[in-house]
Amino acid sequence: MIRTIVQLNRITKSFGSVEALRDINLEIGDGEIVTLLGPSGCGKTTLMRIVAGFEQPSTGKILINGIDMVGVPPERRPVNMVFQRYALFPHLDVFDNIAFGLRLKRMPAAEIRTAVGKILELVQMGDLGDRWITQLSGGQAQRVALARALVNRPAVLLLDEPLAALDLKIRQHMLVELKRIHTETGTTFIYVTHDQDEAMMLSDRIVLMNRGGIEQIGTPEDMYAAPTSLFAAQFLGDTNILPARVIAVDGAVAQCDAGVGAIHVPAKGLTVGDEVKLSVRPETITLSTAPSGELGTALPGTISDLTFIGNRIVYRAALANGQVMICQETRTVAGVRFQADTPVILRWPVEANVVFKV
Amino acid sequence: MLRAYVWLYVGVLFGPLFLIVLFSFHSSPAQIFPMEGLSLIWYRKFFENEVLVQSLKHSLTVAVCCTIITTIIGSMAALALARLQGWVKDAFGYITFAPIALPGLFIGVSLLTLFAQLGISRSLVTVTIAHVLVALPFFIESCRSRLEYFDLSLEEAARDLGATAWDSFRLVTLPIISPTLIGAAILVFAISFDEVIVTIFTSGAETTLPIAVWSMMRQAMTPAINAASVLALSCVALLIGAFGLLNWQQRRWKLARRKAVNGGASA
Repeated sequence: MIRTIVQLNRITKSFGSVEALRDINLEIGDGEIVTLLGPSGCGKTTLMRIVAGFEQPSTGKILINGIDMVGVPPERRPVNMVFQRYALFPHLDVFDNIAFGLRLKRMPAAEIRTAVGKILELVQMGDLGDRWITQLSGGQAQRVALARALVNRPAVLLLDEPLAALDLKIRQHMLVELKRIHTETGTTFIYVTHDQDEAMMLSDRIVLMNRGGIEQIGTPEDMYAAPTSLFAAQFLGDTNILPARVIAVDGAVAQCDAGVGAIHVPAKGLTVGDEVKLSVRPETITLSTAPSGELGTALPGTISDLTFIGNRIVYRAALANGQVMICQETRTVAGVRFQADTPVILRWPVEANVVFKV
Repeated sequence: MLRAYVWLYVGVLFGPLFLIVLFSFHSSPAQIFPMEGLSLIWYRKFFENEVLVQSLKHSLTVAVCCTIITTIIGSMAALALARLQGWVKDAFGYITFAPIALPGLFIGVSLLTLFAQLGISRSLVTVTIAHVLVALPFFIESCRSRLEYFDLSLEEAARDLGATAWDSFRLVTLPIISPTLIGAAILVFAISFDEVIVTIFTSGAETTLPIAVWSMMRQAMTPAINAASVLALSCVALLIGAFGLLNWQQRRWKLARRKAVNGGASA
């Protein structure tokens, strides 16, 4: 069992009459990368600021290393933060920015020089210590912000949408860098983002938040394959949502009517007459022109348009009732197999359906 | 066309100043061309005139005190204004700004009444109080827009790195905003140094330089007044020059120090 570093117990937070957080319970283990993911206004930033000490919870407890942190100011918490726009001190150069925390701790100058040198190596900014902050590129500023926080050896590193201000190429590169730095330092990361790709690529666990509450906690794969709510299914990755009604239950498989033909789904917990919504991931759908009799779902449709993305092709296919399904296939040597207006059969296996009762 | 306009603009702005400076060095009391010769006689006349010298000292004292008080009150107000939100911010902003639009006459009379009611006799103290009142809105207005752009997450970053609230103000906020504050302080100095209207109402036996010059001019026009104006001008110009030099030097020292420390460390 991994040692728990951060423990949040029944945290709530209200700003006036606005409830920003409700009943947050979360444990974060030593060395984990946990992402707080959710749309803007879901409370993820507020939660992080409560851990950092910039906000106090209205009710509830927060323990870091087993010590109650409620009422403890940010400067006396064993956490450091990478701010969204880095918040580097413009009147200091790179070296002095990074040394800021160590100087406040009255570390001897020689040790500071060694520590800053080491951390600059870690973030691959070795020879840029005497640059002014205004002379840095976005990616470099990001590295300095990381170094400035990590040099204090925090129990937890908080990252508030650290990549939001970078362009796509640098963002992907920095994600890889963050993983490397995490491996080398072993520091616990709490990472706030609204970007599901970042969350999935980086996290050990994702905490999906919505409207001030936790929607689901799980590994990226669990959460993608088995979302527990319609919100989770739609927020993480693309999916097709089909409203349907259960018309028959036969052992492990139930038959649903979606107005376009029969859809076969896992029967677990369903009874005849239930109104449901089905979530079907685009990559689970297979397109073909030949009818065949496998178990599962086979619905006729027509390709309405397609997007070629190089290694994959995304088709949009209209079902008989006009509902558009997104279907994704990996490109093979066959290339683009269907053009617009081609009639096709959409197939997906029983297990591809995630069923939500309405 | 635009170039010509720029020169016209600069000419209108600085022409009169240039004439005063020029004639303060004129060897004759006549303030007309052609000039007869150069001389420092009017400066000697100025320093021989007890009233003028005393009033210059008074002006400097008042301006320095006014600048210090205004800077302290004003920067706190401006920092607060930068942190306020919503209608409170708007209301506070208008209230702060309003005295700029008030006629000096009105401020002078009301202060006179106030001091009389409170039984405070007029002196350089009342003049200083009046100058703070006049200069404060200018101070706040001139640094407010810059302070509003101050990124409050810098203070949070400092706190996060272990600084107390006071440390984060001392080590982060103050160094970043100090050029703005110093700029505004120089403006305050200049405003106080040549304030006339409100000073007339609030000064007692001790007068300031502008008042002394004003009363002299009502009797006779002497070029010693030119010298006085040039001295006043140089006071403010020196101050601005010193500020510029300080900024430039700081940057250089910093770079030199960094080179010395890091050159040793990374080699």
